[in-house]
Amino acid sequence: MLTYSLKRLAQLSFTVLGVVTLVFFTMRMIPGDPISAMAGDNLSGAALDQVRNQMGLNEPLLLQYLHYLGGLAVLDFGNTVTTKLPIIQLILDALPVTVSIAIGTIALTVLIAIPLGTLAAYTAHKGHKMLDNAITGLAMVLDLMPSFWTSLVCLLIFSLALGWFPASGTVTIDDPVQLLRRIALPVLVLSMAQIATMARITRTSVLEVLNEDYVRTARSMGWSELRVLFRHALKNAALPIVTVIGLSFGNLLNGTVIVEFIFTLPGIGSLLVGGINSRDYQMVQTLILFYALIFVIINFATDLVYRVFDPRVQI
Amino acid sequence: MKINRRSLLSAALVATMLASTSLLAPATAYAEEKTLVVRFYDDPAGFDPSNIFRIENENIAFNIFSGLTTYDGVTGEIIPDLAESWETTDNITWTFHLRHGVQWQQNYGEVTAADVLYSFNRILDPATASPYASELAGIESMEAPDPYTVVIKLSAPNGNFLHTVANYHQGQIVKKEAIEAAGDQVRWQPVGTGPYYLDSIDVNSQIVLKRHEGYYKGPAPIDTIDFQIIKDDATAAIALRNGEIDLLMRQSKQEQLQTLEAEGFKMNHVDNYAVALKVLNLTDPILSDVRVRQAIAYAIDYPSITAALAPSLQAPAYSLLLPWMDVYSDAAPRYEYDPEKSKALLAEAGYGDGFTLKVLGTSAQGVTEQQQFEIDYLSQVGINMELELVDTPTFNQRRNAGDFMMAGRLLPAVNPDMILFSYLHPENMAPGGLNGARYDNPELTNTLEAARAEADPDKRLDLYAKVQEVAMTDLPYIPATASNVFWPGKQNVTGVNINYLAQVNFWDVDIEE
Repeated sequence: MLTYSLKRLAQLSFTVLGVVTLVFFTMRMIPGDPISAMAGDNLSGAALDQVRNQMGLNEPLLLQYLHYLGGLAVLDFGNTVTTKLPIIQLILDALPVTVSIAIGTIALTVLIAIPLGTLAAYTAHKGHKMLDNAITGLAMVLDLMPSFWTSLVCLLIFSLALGWFPASGTVTIDDPVQLLRRIALPVLVLSMAQIATMARITRTSVLEVLNEDYVRTARSMGWSELRVLFRHALKNAALPIVTVIGLSFGNLLNGTVIVEFIFTLPGIGSLLVGGINSRDYQMVQTLILFYALIFVIINFATDLVYRVFDPRVQI
Repeated sequence: MKINRRSLLSAALVATMLASTSLLAPATAYAEEKTLVVRFYDDPAGFDPSNIFRIENENIAFNIFSGLTTYDGVTGEIIPDLAESWETTDNITWTFHLRHGVQWQQNYGEVTAADVLYSFNRILDPATASPYASELAGIESMEAPDPYTVVIKLSAPNGNFLHTVANYHQGQIVKKEAIEAAGDQVRWQPVGTGPYYLDSIDVNSQIVLKRHEGYYKGPAPIDTIDFQIIKDDATAAIALRNGEIDLLMRQSKQEQLQTLEAEGFKMNHVDNYAVALKVLNLTDPILSDVRVRQAIAYAIDYPSITAALAPSLQAPAYSLLLPWMDVYSDAAPRYEYDPEKSKALLAEAGYGDGFTLKVLGTSAQGVTEQQQFEIDYLSQVGINMELELVDTPTFNQRRNAGDFMMAGRLLPAVNPDMILFSYLHPENMAPGGLNGARYDNPELTNTLEAARAEADPDKRLDLYAKVQEVAMTDLPYIPATASNVFWPGKQNVTGVNINYLAQVNFWDVDIEE
């Protein structure tokens, strides 16, 4: 297990270095730079070039890259180009918001999607097509609704009409009640899409397992249907579900961009969009590195969980 | 402690006594602090006058700092600020007399002429790398004969110098000691003399301003202004309707404005804030022909477009300058919608069969309805408008580099002379300057220079009228629409006067009980 872990880790470090390099150079290949992004309509080219010079953006690219790697080596992520604030602080401030949304979404999704998917699989297995169709149909509808639209609908219903949740307001981890009230709607919106995917995956993998011999054996031993379903079928169907949960978590950490924008939540997604729009190289580089690390860690953890579930798994 | 009836009784007695003493206490000590919650619509980028960008940041800075002069919230006219009065005889030597006893925020003492000299020298210092240095480049010398007098000598006459020293960008006066104390965080630690000071900022969500008790006009009526960052226009409207915010800084969606107006919110606005222009690249072989440019202007019916799409937010524009500007002339030629004239001009220029007009735009809003109208109008005279949408930084870079045929531009400057010089004078040709059309007409250049130097007000007006006439005949830029700025708010929020820089002086703003 240790050799396996080390091997995986080595592979993944190369991935991270590749990502860092790729992001550094592609950001600079995109037309426009932080200065032209800030400029707006009011400033002349000569005035902007003066600012550009002062910010070191006219230095040779390779030199800038080496500076960047040198900083990374000592865990110095630098300041943003546009606002001169320490990036790591901005990320640490934004992280709890996004992580809370991601955890909330996964929890709500698992709570609803797994029983729903299992129920669909069970009814399909028993030949009761109607309930199965209803569930898969609902999943499809949920999946098709774009999140910017559901966000606004949720705001209109739960915030404006019912007044249950605020549409704006400060969000910090220091005020958990306010945080929960502010992330409730984003969690609901994001869960809708996640529930669809996870219910379908659960249905498929449980259905497959329900036809296996050991399930029939369990039944023939006179165990209750619920016990057969949850103890035997679901446990064996868990592998693909765990993978999807792992990947969803990763996706949620960087995929909350739209809901963060609409619900004005100061999370990681907002930072990334702001960074790209303002061509804040340093900010985007650090965030992408951060995302890469999250995916690497999640992949790594998923691999390990796989290996626990199924010891035959090899690199 | 065991609770029995007696202890309950004594507790009730104590509570009653406490309540009655608080009732007897002077009411002012218990008057609730007034807090105004305002929607802020973008990421704050700091408030250092030497390199401040974007209207929303400028609006905060406008309330923190002062200039020698400032803009009246209602009329838009230049009025005294730190300078109580000023005089000039030849538009070259300007003498400003400072108000006595003006206090800096954060206990930095009284404002003196030395602060003014420091502020302007800081902008001019290449080490500051201020993009606004060129605004002050005409200064030949500055002196402070006494602590309340500033004498500025220019290298050439400039009748518009009062705009340069107004409470805006380079004109905002800073304190040397505060700038040095802030080091590289100066944009986040602004110290000025305005009605509010920066209390705290969380760049992700909130900016808090507090009342400057020592403000020279007296303390503002509101204690705290809490700017909440809400980027989405629809969410901002819901927050206002929900009562979460009191005032909405900028609402740019016509349908949201209609909803808010129908629900009885106060529609604070300023009309004709800025002109949206079409910049025509004159290095393009087709657009270099003035007849083609005029044909485009005749082909599009902007009054109909604005009436159909955003009657609140837009109005048609007919000049580079707006009617409220002091040197505006309505004698310049206008291009009322006339497709037949357009076709005739195209035929005369040798494009009877039409041509393809490539238009560079930003992808921020996708293809707008206005662009769809433009495509349709132009197709009716045989011009095939092709739209290329890129993101904002790319757009800015390409527009500057001249890599476009036609592109849009908004002119938000309040100083008409600055607009005309920047956009029409060959010295300001892009990429170095803002003359993105690459326009050079010696007749106009001479008139413009003469206008700036002219000391006689009537002669000056005539010269500026001539400049506008030539510009609108040559048409390097086609004025399309003028934009209106809206700050919808609760009915009890009073004094929201948006000036022509789209800024609100919060000293005027109050919440009525």
